[in-house]
Amino acid sequence: MLSQRQLALILIAPGLLLVAALFLYPLGFSLISAFTKPDGSLTLDWFAKAYELYSTDIVFTVVIVLASCGLTALAAIVIAGTLTLGENPWIVGTLKALYRWPLFIPFIVAAQCMRTFLAKNGLMNNTFVSLGLMEPLSAVSYLDWRGIIATFVWKQTPFVALLLAGALASIDRATLEAGRNLGASRVRVLVELALPQVMPTLLVALVLSFVTMLSVLSVPMMVAGSQPTMLTVDMAFRINSYGDYATANALGVITYLISAGAAILYLKRGLSKEAAP
Amino acid sequence: MPTELQHGPQSGAAIAVRDLHVAYGGTRVLHGVSLDFTPGSFTALLGSSGCGKTTLLRSLSGFVPVESGSIIVGGKDVASLPPEKRGMAMVFQSYALWPHMTVLQNIGYGLKLRGATKAEIAAKVAAMLEFLGLAGYENRKVTALSGGQRQRVALGRALAIDPGILLLDEPLSNLDAKIRMTMRHEIRAIQQRLGLTAVHVTHDREEAMTMADRLVIMQAGRIAQVGTPEEVYDRPATAFVANFMGAENVLPLRVERSEQGARLSAGEATASLANGVSSALPSGEAVAYFRDDVARLDASDATSTGDLIVPGLIAARAYPGGVYRYRVEAAGRQITVDDANRHELGTKIGLRIPLQRLHIFPASEAGTIAA
Repeated sequence: MLSQRQLALILIAPGLLLVAALFLYPLGFSLISAFTKPDGSLTLDWFAKAYELYSTDIVFTVVIVLASCGLTALAAIVIAGTLTLGENPWIVGTLKALYRWPLFIPFIVAAQCMRTFLAKNGLMNNTFVSLGLMEPLSAVSYLDWRGIIATFVWKQTPFVALLLAGALASIDRATLEAGRNLGASRVRVLVELALPQVMPTLLVALVLSFVTMLSVLSVPMMVAGSQPTMLTVDMAFRINSYGDYATANALGVITYLISAGAAILYLKRGLSKEAAP
Repeated sequence: MPTELQHGPQSGAAIAVRDLHVAYGGTRVLHGVSLDFTPGSFTALLGSSGCGKTTLLRSLSGFVPVESGSIIVGGKDVASLPPEKRGMAMVFQSYALWPHMTVLQNIGYGLKLRGATKAEIAAKVAAMLEFLGLAGYENRKVTALSGGQRQRVALGRALAIDPGILLLDEPLSNLDAKIRMTMRHEIRAIQQRLGLTAVHVTHDREEAMTMADRLVIMQAGRIAQVGTPEEVYDRPATAFVANFMGAENVLPLRVERSEQGARLSAGEATASLANGVSSALPSGEAVAYFRDDVARLDASDATSTGDLIVPGLIAARAYPGGVYRYRVEAAGRQITVDDANRHELGTKIGLRIPLQRLHIFPASEAGTIAA
């Protein structure tokens, strides 16, 4: 007769095996490969090489992702705030119906759309020209770092806004009414009374967005030129062009450390809040 | 509670509500309410759930859009102004304190919005806390306070901006019974000391009667009666008000008027009223409402002496303290009667009902109570 404990182990075994084979093994293998020479001895050579070749791209990646997170937060706050405190039923209704759409569009499709939208003779510039707002000659392409940020913000804003609007809807509405009753405008109510109550949710949504943006390959590859570019493109390049798994893995470890940094910042904030009297 | 508050004496503002219509998504909630609130008065809006009392308060504060009608404060119609422009302070049922702020920040927020300096805010909040019996609580987190303390902070936050009008949206419902009693008196005392015009929404009859100097009974989006607690309690204008104010025993009657006065009959039982008293009575089928403590249990063959003696049977007995409470089957109805003496179940009795203490309305009107 099997004990409860053995039975439980048997039940979770298939799932555990899948995780081990498809996730833990490749992750461990990549980590080891980033720190070892072909002969098996430990080394930091791959990191030195990664730093030498791609230090600009590391900074570029961090700046792009941070800027995108900041703009995403801003856009999401505006949308979620309008949904929560908006008084015009038409604006709120239209926004509610529209804002989630980008959630269902894959990054690669979003990137393709941005190419046609932001190019030198793309939809945006053509519209400006036809409206007489811009001379055809002064049109410039936005298919560089600005294009990447635009795509990331467009794609991630609905996700952050969705979580934020949910959190805002669940706080006691009377706390917002109390603010207005005392004389605060809706913007002040949002910034000073509503947002501080949902800050943990906003941070979780932003940390998740940060990690997602860090791991997207299609957007920097399709929207921007080759230099400087994001670490995902560099990794793909090392593997596809040179079969250089070691350097690609070193870049992977660096990416992992950056995303771990975001998670640590979040955890630290959470802990200091709990420790407060 | 210390009586000193550092700022000067305030005076309440008058509010005039005229023909107010309010609807939620196509459903009309207020059907043309007109009401005056004199400066320094304490008015309780009373009614059962869904009668529109909260909607009336929220349309005063600006949280419910007004369909038509006006709300005049200080000679100005504020019905179209947003809540932040109305200068009325509100205390909410859920306290609605901001959990991310300290007591000081909560009470001082309205002052901060009005551009007060940090020192001014600190001084005023300290005086307010002293006034509310919470001296030294400035840096406490509001989440660490008890229910009664939270409601005091909420009251302090509303009073800190020196409002002329204080709106109270069931502020005592979340407190336990003992603290509720204390807070009733505190709120009333503060309102009188500061001379504020207070509008209090509640479904608790006793709370309304003990706190307010005027009751507004609402029924299905309309005002059923306005008056002092005594007027509304002793002279209800409609069957609904009588029933709502605790006259829950219902006795169908027949009123026959003659030149000498009126003759009232309930089944076999009859009694007469002299002309002067009976002039206001309806003629024909009527319904009488009376409270538990109005009728007495008497012998089934007792002499009338002007009272109505309705034969009945004791169906149940309980002892809530002080008096016995009986359920009596009489005239085909279940009637609750308080009596000092103990009687056995199944005893045949005569229910002695003094006619002067009955609230009698035409039978046609009694059907509207359920609304």
